[in-house]
Amino acid sequence: MAEVSFKHVKKVYPNNEKKSRKKRGDAEKSTPANVTDEGVLVVRDFNLDIADREFIVLVGPSGCGKSTTLRMIAGLEDITDGEITIDGTVVNDVAPKDRDIAMVFQSYALYPHMTVYENMAFPLKLRKLPKDQIDAKVREAAETLGITEYLDRKPKALSGGQRQRVAIGRAIVREPKVLLMDEPLSNLDAKLRNQMRAEIIKLRQKIDTTFIYVTHDQTEAMTLGDRIVIMKDGIAQQIGTPHQVFDNPANIFVAGFIGVPQMNFFDADLVRTGDSYVVRLGGFEVAPSEEKQANLRAHGIKSQKITLGVRPEHITLAPGETSCLEGTVDVSEMMGSSVHLHMTSLGQDVIAVVNTMDATDPTFADRHNVGERVEYAFTGNAIHLFDKETGTNLEF
Amino acid sequence: MSNAHDTLASERRRKNILSVVLAIICVIYCLPVVAVVVNSFKLNTYVKTDTFALPNSESFAGLSNFITGMTFGNYPFWRAAFFSVLITVASTALILICCSMAAWYIARVNSKFCKLVYILCVFSMVVPFQMVMFTLSKTADTLNLNTPWTIPVVYLGFGAGLAIFMFVGFVKSIPLEIEEAAAIDGCGPIRTFFCVVLPMLKPTLISVGILELMWVWNDYLLPYLVLDINEYRTIPIHIQYLKGSYGTVDLGATMALILMSIVPVIIFYLACQKHIIKGVAAGAVKG
Repeated sequence: MAEVSFKHVKKVYPNNEKKSRKKRGDAEKSTPANVTDEGVLVVRDFNLDIADREFIVLVGPSGCGKSTTLRMIAGLEDITDGEITIDGTVVNDVAPKDRDIAMVFQSYALYPHMTVYENMAFPLKLRKLPKDQIDAKVREAAETLGITEYLDRKPKALSGGQRQRVAIGRAIVREPKVLLMDEPLSNLDAKLRNQMRAEIIKLRQKIDTTFIYVTHDQTEAMTLGDRIVIMKDGIAQQIGTPHQVFDNPANIFVAGFIGVPQMNFFDADLVRTGDSYVVRLGGFEVAPSEEKQANLRAHGIKSQKITLGVRPEHITLAPGETSCLEGTVDVSEMMGSSVHLHMTSLGQDVIAVVNTMDATDPTFADRHNVGERVEYAFTGNAIHLFDKETGTNLEF
Repeated sequence: MSNAHDTLASERRRKNILSVVLAIICVIYCLPVVAVVVNSFKLNTYVKTDTFALPNSESFAGLSNFITGMTFGNYPFWRAAFFSVLITVASTALILICCSMAAWYIARVNSKFCKLVYILCVFSMVVPFQMVMFTLSKTADTLNLNTPWTIPVVYLGFGAGLAIFMFVGFVKSIPLEIEEAAAIDGCGPIRTFFCVVLPMLKPTLISVGILELMWVWNDYLLPYLVLDINEYRTIPIHIQYLKGSYGTVDLGATMALILMSIVPVIIFYLACQKHIIKGVAAGAVKG
């Protein structure tokens, strides 16, 4: 159990390519935004306070700096600037073994020459615990994870899921202050991943520790985390509970990253008349909810061109209504309880999730054929308004 | 139908020819060993006349060749055997320990110095011993590396090229996360190497060990140039003293000594055979 805190943490990798390019005299070539004279900026000005026993999930696309951030907590990467504290102690220069943390790797990282028992006992042996205590702790952890029958096996004789359990067992057996998990479920198939996700939730209820979990899978992030940190290009885009980031995304990136299928974005006009706002999209008009209008007024938002975001789940098919949008069905994906309709509307792709189940009518099935024209609409409390230039949420 | 039958027949004929050719090559390879085994049990005169004939009641010498080989001259055979074992075991152990550690460092530390050392090690593999042997024997004399207890250092220098080349290839295939997990679990660099990396290197340790052991055990030229041969002899040096002062050679005893010197290596090789194949293939594919 521990509090973890990041204060203006920065990580820069030296950029040899830039130096050699300068030497060759072809510096005029364009360089990515995160490449500076200092090197490649992987994590920039990262600030986060993690409470004791909190489950924090760092999520983002590949190369966003989430794993580097985790590795900086573990002590596997140096910190270029800033401070990381565990329980109030600055650990920037503390060796990994002295941080009282444990880590579960994506590739399991089990010792192949040791049995499951030896793998789990190894960190305890290094701490010179008496043999009977080691045995008790290993067997207790194995019991919790359901791997008691595999204790005498070598890792190569285990399946992916069993290996991942052993890796988790090796981490929890030490009762660390902070448990770090670096994409632990990425190597598992979809079914096993769902099963292991549920087991991590159960494990979290059983052990008293602070969890920091890295994933690129937004479903894992939403289901596991007390709070989610969404990262892009080394910057934390938004930190909040799953509900906060889903209902009130801070910018277009977060809005697009969280939620499956991805949020639909439209070029629209926000028109302010006195104290009230209306969004115009083609011939369709929708007034933001009262709460949203109040937020816009509070920020002094004027009439402007905006990016309008609408989640596919919030689109309803509205045949025959006077104010609605029209689209042509391109693809209809049957997902079981719902259908994902991919449409072309207003010259762009639009996705709508249409419910195919009705508890009162088991024979209900809302089917749409490819090429069919459909009418759809959405309400004012389901829309998200983003600045056209910066992509930030106008309500923030 | 007939076409397919012809193809099948020609394929079978091709395989039969290949089998015969390979069998002949196999016999050619085995012939020297067979000759050594057969002649070590024959009287000296029959070794020259009936080289490839099996010993018969007339030519069979029993163990007399082995006894002659072990008792001739005034340098005891057991002493030569002792120095051979000492130099071989010490050199192989030194090569395995030092080169595996060096290879781990070279593979994990990404610096220009490490790249240079690696290139130098690989380069040393293509330099023939004959090119450096005279300067080397002089240097070994100057540095007092001319005794059986210190000559392993010279062998380390010569064996490091191949050993580091093989170890680096294998270490690179070990996921770095395993060593990172060890660091988090509480290991320092030394413990990480001995508790985690070294056990994983077992297949390569065995294959490098066999290669180096066979080379050092059979080596004639380096100990001949470096050691004081009146004081210290290895088995290969000792064998050549069976040659008499007027060019006469006791071939039966020579064969018997050669047989005795190759038997330990063959037994060791057969015992570790499966590991050598594993070790050579281990670095090739990431598991």
